[in-house]
Amino acid sequence: MMSLRLVISYFLMFTGAFFALVTVLGLLRFPDVYTRIHAGAVVLTISGVLITLGTAIYVWEFFLSAKVVLIGIFFLFSNPMATHAIARASYSRHIALPEEYEIDAYSEYLRRDENANT
Amino acid sequence: MHKNFKNITAVVVFILMGIAFYENFQLMPAYKGLGEGVSDYIIRSGLSETGSLNLITAVLYDYRAFDSLGESTVIFGAVSGIVLILSRKMLPVSSRGLSFIVKRTLGIITPFIALFSIYVITHGHLTPGGGFQGGVIFAAISIIFSIVYGSAFDYRRYSPQMKTAFETVGALTFLGLGIAGIFMEGYFLHNLGFLTAETGTLISAGSIPYINMGVGLKVGAGLAIIFYSMIQKTFKEEI
Repeated sequence: MMSLRLVISYFLMFTGAFFALVTVLGLLRFPDVYTRIHAGAVVLTISGVLITLGTAIYVWEFFLSAKVVLIGIFFLFSNPMATHAIARASYSRHIALPEEYEIDAYSEYLRRDENANT
Repeated sequence: MHKNFKNITAVVVFILMGIAFYENFQLMPAYKGLGEGVSDYIIRSGLSETGSLNLITAVLYDYRAFDSLGESTVIFGAVSGIVLILSRKMLPVSSRGLSFIVKRTLGIITPFIALFSIYVITHGHLTPGGGFQGGVIFAAISIIFSIVYGSAFDYRRYSPQMKTAFETVGALTFLGLGIAGIFMEGYFLHNLGFLTAETGTLISAGSIPYINMGVGLKVGAGLAIIFYSMIQKTFKEEI
């Protein structure tokens, strides 16, 4: 007979695994850099956080759980930050050309910044 | 006369070194196969002899501590060579770094990276890790400084003189513990007996934690110096 704690932890871990699968689908199927980065940032973050939460509930010992939850918190910080840096670099290096897109709000934002300076 | 004197000195030094090596090799045990040789001996009695739960650290800093001294000397040689080759070129200094979001996030995370490196270094005799691994994590902080905040920030906060001082302190710690081993135990780099305590506590295992700290400082500062002298040209300034 599984206890409620194990059921909750398995539920969290399987949900995280499902989101990881969705991340892989997004990385394979989305057309260009920014949409792929979006998949990697949003879905992979919640997947990692859910898996670490499930593991923390599974081991259920104070120090081990605290360490695993800390890993999740750092993942929550660092993964969107890294994808932000990648997206910004690929915009300013013209890896994905901004001219291809209908809406380019970031360049308008930058130009507004220049106008404000001058 | 002068040339002859030099040659005779060299011959005498070589003969003395040969005698010393011969005497040392006489002391080595014969090869007994993998099952009952040195490795089996270390697995059986390493914990009771060194007091270090991590047997790899016990081998690195007690049984083969002289090898580790050589390895850190290799790192020192690599650092000296790279700095010597690259020091002629002027380094362009970047002060802008990456965007605001990256700076703020790493401002939160970087103290934890420092804490983790200190943990890995000081618990080298209890858990996996040790001086080399923790030193590499320590060097990552300097790399983060120069990539994210610009190399001018790295120069201000953690200057090359400070890195050199850290590396020197690490090497001197290692050598000082070795010489203390000569005076207190009779052999170079012998584990210091008066520092041993109950196995499994933080301050135990003789001089192994202190050698770990020395190697950690040395490796961290050395890799940071290598990285700092290798950024010839920091990437173009962001918009």
